[in-house]
Amino acid sequence: MHMQRVLVVAAGFVLAGLLGLGAYFLPVLQTATSAAATAAIPNLDPKPASAAPFTVLLLGSDDDSKFPPDRLNTQSMILVRVDPASRQATMLSIPRDLWVPIPDQGSGKISWAYQLGGAQEAIAAVESNFKVHIDDYAWIGLNGLVKLIDQLGGVNVVITNPVMDDFYPSDLGSGYPYDYYRVAVLPGAVHLDGVHALQYVRSRHGDLRGDFARSERQQQVLLAIKAQASHLNVADLPALAAAFNGEIKTSMGLGRMRQVMTMANDFDGSGIHRIVLLPPYTSEGFVGGQSVVIPDWSAILPLVHQSFP
Amino acid sequence: MRRPLISAALVILMLAFGVGVYQAAGYLKAGRPHVQRPSQTTGPVLPGSLYVIQAGALYRYQHGKFAQITKDNGWMQPAADPSGNRLVAVSREANHSELYLMDRNGSGLAQLTHNASSTVEQNHWVFYPSFSADGSQLFYDYDPKDPYNAYRVDLSIFASPADPNSKTAVRWTYPNEYTGGDVNPMPLRSGGLVYTKFSIDDKSKVHSQLWLQARPGSAGVALTDPEADCLQPALSPDELLLAMVCTNGEPLGGQVSVARFYAATSSLGAPAVLARGHLVASPSFSPDGKTLAYLAPATPDGGFQLWTVPATDSTAPPPKQITTNLDLDAGSAPVWIN
Repeated sequence: MHMQRVLVVAAGFVLAGLLGLGAYFLPVLQTATSAAATAAIPNLDPKPASAAPFTVLLLGSDDDSKFPPDRLNTQSMILVRVDPASRQATMLSIPRDLWVPIPDQGSGKISWAYQLGGAQEAIAAVESNFKVHIDDYAWIGLNGLVKLIDQLGGVNVVITNPVMDDFYPSDLGSGYPYDYYRVAVLPGAVHLDGVHALQYVRSRHGDLRGDFARSERQQQVLLAIKAQASHLNVADLPALAAAFNGEIKTSMGLGRMRQVMTMANDFDGSGIHRIVLLPPYTSEGFVGGQSVVIPDWSAILPLVHQSFP
Repeated sequence: MRRPLISAALVILMLAFGVGVYQAAGYLKAGRPHVQRPSQTTGPVLPGSLYVIQAGALYRYQHGKFAQITKDNGWMQPAADPSGNRLVAVSREANHSELYLMDRNGSGLAQLTHNASSTVEQNHWVFYPSFSADGSQLFYDYDPKDPYNAYRVDLSIFASPADPNSKTAVRWTYPNEYTGGDVNPMPLRSGGLVYTKFSIDDKSKVHSQLWLQARPGSAGVALTDPEADCLQPALSPDELLLAMVCTNGEPLGGQVSVARFYAATSSLGAPAVLARGHLVASPSFSPDGKTLAYLAPATPDGGFQLWTVPATDSTAPPPKQITTNLDLDAGSAPVWIN
């Protein structure tokens, strides 16, 4: 009888502790649940994270009021292959104007796939054209990126040349989403807050290399986010999740997120390979009167399959 | 009677334990790096005075203490005239920026430029002011408009008298188009100019090079190789040494180097690396030319701090960190005067 009471009391303390932990991680669970509901992809992965390599499709959209929330293109698509055992990673930027067959939708720019069928369609378009398998995805909106970087305390990057834009969209928090303002991000090593980091990765008007330059900058800021996140641990997840408030969606389970965070600590950046599909892998062209990027699959696929199975 | 009391106490203890677990999880958070205002910190004593920028305010570092000498309203890129009695700095607004003269205490503001327009794209930028060797001229970056393409914005280097009443400006450089322009003007005593020029190679890779130009509009010569990706030049007071940051194409790295500068032959000697790390920025010489100040984070994820290193000997002691917990503007080189 005495033993039974001790067990009941012990169980009570364990339950109270679990409730405390549950309350602490509630924002993560809420974010995960809303993401799963929106994306219709299960994201609370019960499987423990393994050391096997995996591939994540990173998607970024202009989600300002110019576009209905269910009709967003992806301005940024980066395929990331991570090998935790060898501490190697590869980032492949996919041009947003790449003209490809979109499964069950006909041909179009690959950035349209997300608008046509959400993350699943974007994944299907990348898998079918690049002949790769994607394990997970993460989508982020404009405000999500700003909040993520601000939550991390900013990012440190080396700006290679001045990024100048007299027609940068003033669509964050502005009453009229077609307004614009001037941007000048000056060269050299700098510490950028969320708004200025967004300007850096989004601006394209003043650069001869257009979207390709933007892809390089996006990869660079991704590396900087990785470096900045190296001081975080799992206990930081609730504050991050609360800050995003629907501005991020992912199919990654908590186990994989934990794995990604651990790797951010371990990776020193030297094992990260960056690919941008510049000419001769792609060429500029016109289809139906609009400017597109034409892929040369005979050159792209061997390159991609060096890193992506 | 005792049993209900013990049960109630146990329930309260369990609740307290649950709250304790919640709080303990919060204590494990790493959070953001802690940043202080410079005027809340102290550091080692350095000779003379150093001027740095944090969060849009100009600070003077003297006798190991910082004093804020302007309000926090968009100040950046200060420079001193040869006498050290006048400063020039950029005041940046949303769509334009202006040059202001001030005394070494941040007082007596005199506006030199008028770049504001109600039409967004008709505003102008002005950056990187630098006094000529005799203090009479100011070299600076400005964005002339391309009448054929409104999307093209490339900075060019101009020079004007350091006088609020002056209306004249001489254009010195013509940048490679769509590179963002030429930056970091460093006028020479001889009348020439050292600056950073950008180019894009046939593989679409951007390069930065230190460039030397003898007179306005002349072609000029490269002082560094494209692959070295050097920028942010700084000249020693005697103009015999040139400090620079070179990244060698690394997206998150760089080094502070110093080389002999041979103006007569438009060339540099072999560079010596004085500091290397994840990120380094904006070197600047001490008034006696023996020490370099520069900006770099103490950790890869931290804000930029002030560092010093002997300028003339690569075998000298390692760089010395002067500040901690600051977030200095890495694009504003420290100004070091007597």
